[in-house]
Amino acid sequence: MRRYIIAGFALAGLCAAVSTATAQQPGVSQNPPPLEIGAVAPDFTLPGATRFGVLRDPVRLSDFRGKTVVLAFFFRARTRG
Amino acid sequence: MNAYRDQYAQLFRLGRNVVLIAISADPDTALASWARDSEFPFLMASDRDLTVGRAYGALAPRPGLTNRNLFVVGPDGRIAWRAVPFREVDPQAYVELGQAIARIVPSDTAAGNR
Repeated sequence: MRRYIIAGFALAGLCAAVSTATAQQPGVSQNPPPLEIGAVAPDFTLPGATRFGVLRDPVRLSDFRGKTVVLAFFFRARTRG
Repeated sequence: MNAYRDQYAQLFRLGRNVVLIAISADPDTALASWARDSEFPFLMASDRDLTVGRAYGALAPRPGLTNRNLFVVGPDGRIAWRAVPFREVDPQAYVELGQAIARIVPSDTAAGNR
């Protein structure tokens, strides 16, 4: 039984890898490439939140000028990535 | 995100001169709710229309979502380091991120926190 479960995961992983690779082929996806090192980080103003609730004031990158800011994009709330 | 929370103290031991902003297309209410339930110690930002994801090149192949790209913006306002994608569940990814941050933060700040 375990063998089938492992095989199932492997197959799912393979499908995910294939679909991701397909989506990233030129022409299929029109997503811009990630910014390069050295590029000016575009300023932004976004609604913010912390564990204490939504923020009254938006989060603005330029407010942190002079600091080191880690921008960590992720897929979706309450999922692993 | 849970791994970010668990690694946070180590990653951000350099104090107030380093800020983490976690960004997704979720509404701010969803981010606040999740942050409360998981006790995230960091800032979150809601990129509902994917403007910021598009500007940084952090859109997922699937429409409507950002991906797991990570960018470190230095004090000069430029991209100083990036992980494309950031492997959130890999401990080594945090080691590399921590090392990158330590190189970026001005040396006088680092010395002051030792």
